[in-house]
Amino acid sequence: MTSRIFNLRLIAVTVSLMTAFSLCQAQDAQMMGSLIGQSLSKLQEDSSPEAFQNCVAELKRIDAMYPGHAAPKYYAALESLNFAVMNPQAEQAESMIAEAEQAITQLEELPEADQSDLCTLKGFLYMVRIVQNPAVNGQRYYLDVMNYYEKALKLNPDNQLAQQLQQKFHEGMNKR
Amino acid sequence: MKQFLAILFLALTTLFEAAAQTRMDGTVRDAQGPLAGVNVFVVGTLDGSITDSLGRFSFVTRQTGECVLRASMLGYEEFSIKADATRLQGQDIFLREKAASLDEVVVTASTYSIGKSNQIKTMDALDVVMAGNSCGDVVAALQVLPGTQKVGENGKLYVRGGDSDECQTFVNGMHVLVPYSTNVEGQNQRGRFSPFLFKGMSFSLGGYGGEYGQALSSVLPMETTDVASSDKLGVSASLVDWSLGGTKAFRRSSLSFNANYIGMGPYTRIFPDRCDWTRPYGKLSGEAQYKWELSKRSVLKTYAGYDWTTVGMRTEGRNLSMTEHNLYANATLRSQLGRGWTLFAGMAESAVLSDMDDALMAGDHYHNRRNEVHLKTEVQKRFTPLFKMSAGVEDYLRASDKQYEKTGYELDYNLLGIHVDAQVRLVPRLFLNLSARGERLSYSREWLLMPRATLSFVPGTRFQASVMIGRYSQTPEDDYVARGQYKLRQSTADHLILSMQYSGAHTLLRVEPYYKWYHHLPLLTEGLYKADGYGCSRGVDVYLEDSSLLRNLSLSAAYSFNDSQRLYLDYDAPHTPEYASRHNLRLTAKYAIGKVILGLAETYASGRKYVAGTTPYYNSLDANITWLAHPKVIVYASLNNLLGRTNIYRINPDGTQVGATRDRFFYLGVFVSLKNNKAYDISNF
Repeated sequence: MTSRIFNLRLIAVTVSLMTAFSLCQAQDAQMMGSLIGQSLSKLQEDSSPEAFQNCVAELKRIDAMYPGHAAPKYYAALESLNFAVMNPQAEQAESMIAEAEQAITQLEELPEADQSDLCTLKGFLYMVRIVQNPAVNGQRYYLDVMNYYEKALKLNPDNQLAQQLQQKFHEGMNKR
Repeated sequence: MKQFLAILFLALTTLFEAAAQTRMDGTVRDAQGPLAGVNVFVVGTLDGSITDSLGRFSFVTRQTGECVLRASMLGYEEFSIKADATRLQGQDIFLREKAASLDEVVVTASTYSIGKSNQIKTMDALDVVMAGNSCGDVVAALQVLPGTQKVGENGKLYVRGGDSDECQTFVNGMHVLVPYSTNVEGQNQRGRFSPFLFKGMSFSLGGYGGEYGQALSSVLPMETTDVASSDKLGVSASLVDWSLGGTKAFRRSSLSFNANYIGMGPYTRIFPDRCDWTRPYGKLSGEAQYKWELSKRSVLKTYAGYDWTTVGMRTEGRNLSMTEHNLYANATLRSQLGRGWTLFAGMAESAVLSDMDDALMAGDHYHNRRNEVHLKTEVQKRFTPLFKMSAGVEDYLRASDKQYEKTGYELDYNLLGIHVDAQVRLVPRLFLNLSARGERLSYSREWLLMPRATLSFVPGTRFQASVMIGRYSQTPEDDYVARGQYKLRQSTADHLILSMQYSGAHTLLRVEPYYKWYHHLPLLTEGLYKADGYGCSRGVDVYLEDSSLLRNLSLSAAYSFNDSQRLYLDYDAPHTPEYASRHNLRLTAKYAIGKVILGLAETYASGRKYVAGTTPYYNSLDANITWLAHPKVIVYASLNNLLGRTNIYRINPDGTQVGATRDRFFYLGVFVSLKNNKAYDISNF
């Protein structure tokens, strides 16, 4: 009987600890999400190249605060690519693309990273390369862009970013 | 009064807030001077800023007490300092440039890559099709690269003074026994694989690691495409070949098929050549692939291909007739096991059945059956970003029989190979790849140990230099083994290669001098083949690629000098092998105007030495045009040897010259996608 009570206590303690741990994690994730949201919201007020650079820098600070999480890396890559696609010939475009490539590589190592998001980022990366030099990179990377968006939507048909980027890409292709 | 108290409260709050804030400022620089764009921040907070063009930063933080100030920028070592917040003002931060790790550096020495990779010469399948005079043949497309020799009578790959069988082909790491389709002399033997099968190829001209064996000169590893994400169906037609192919994509797998027929009959009737064909060249082939993503980190790839080739011609008073069945299948599994471990396992089967009537004289019959099973497994472990290792074991099980009239032989042997490779960054910018390969040949029961090393200096992304040294081996051809009474040991070649490469935004220059020493080549001595032959091959390859002269224009020049001498086979004294020419030059130009791409290629090779004399030089100016007629239609046309020069390939002992059976070759092909949501995508696979 004692052992049974002990076992029940043990289970109760374990469950309590696990709950506390997951609550902390949830709080952690909430806090992280809030910081990312704050950072991204600044771009709605100001979308100058400087604002993008500051936003990416902030996201990297958040990444330093939560090193094992995918979200800061994902948004850092996304905003770096957003900057590069809007400013393809800017002086900082290459370094921003390099930042995105690094973040994508880091995301690939994370088990929690969403594969559909990862494919979207990869497609976006090749899309930026095409925007930078359509004559040379169009033929070289066109199929990669298509394949990555397709794969992203196959893994998650509700991936809105992949849908939007794919649509933008089709529109861009039809104009050429 | 209430108002006064409120103002006082606000003033005090602001004062305390200000007192609780600490301003952090300073500069960041590297060895060259101030660094702009560096992210400087207090770890664990959002407080920070980016340095300006003068490397200055300044921000306010609420952190008090001990904190960590960090400066980070891509390409530099991270800088961190831990101190009381009040003592972190006026920092003068120096960032060290980060030396690349093994994963960030791709040593390109002696290797040309086709496909998407960090290596140079990034062509895709369409580029292969459009390359000079390739007509969609991978092997012909590779011949625009330096180090290859122009041998017109068979079109095979001859690399740096080596014979064609010294270059071995691998599909997904597995060996292909016969990568060419058969043909009669004077006709090109096309590579049997479509360029659209592959996402990448790495053509190594020597100095390769321990993974690859049974190749004295070079290896051509090719990696098939990944699991398809959408369905495809396409057809193509030309004056000489017709194809139908497609892909069915499933959730985590895809199944592809391709059927192709090459028939020279109609073409020969329209454009007759100098041959008297009884049955013009014909090849019927079918391929299938199934690829399955077992998990996020495991992929199973299978491939099966079958070719049936037939050709017949009237020559020297006899009706030469050839038939060949060539089957190749492989299955590979690559799995990332976590913690830096990767496992590879594969098996491949090659079976080739050749029959020839009137081979040497009227009424004779020749029969040859060759079979090879290749089993291979390998593990890789990335210990740190600066050190990784791989080790593997493989077995080649070979059997063949050959009958010509009442003579012939049967062969059955196996070759066991093991290898260990280590890659290490010795000091920043200096990389070493060390490998050892051991092989045991069953019939001679001898072990052969082959050390290999590559030392590379990579100071940045633009320049790299490498020195490669290593020993390579290959079992002699079956005929020589049989006529050597199973005593013929493996031939070996020692490679010494120096490689220097500059890669700018629009220009690439590579220079590679090399020296190869051959040992134990088969030599006919008193009616038996013995491993007493030897030889050497030395030269220099130069490759220049440029796209800076004019928008949409890309140019390339490849020059190879080769001085080769051998004593082997039935030679009575060392001399230059008949296939080797001293100078080889290829110039190519590609220019895009809207949806039309124009290509021009010039190939020159100096004369080849035969006992009865030296052949005249080889020259061919080829032109091609690609028209992206519609998102689902590509039209391609090429004309080889515009100037119509009659190229001579051989001089027989009686002084007669043997050359190309036709001076010009015209190709017109249309590729149509019937079901595909992607434009300009060849749907056959």
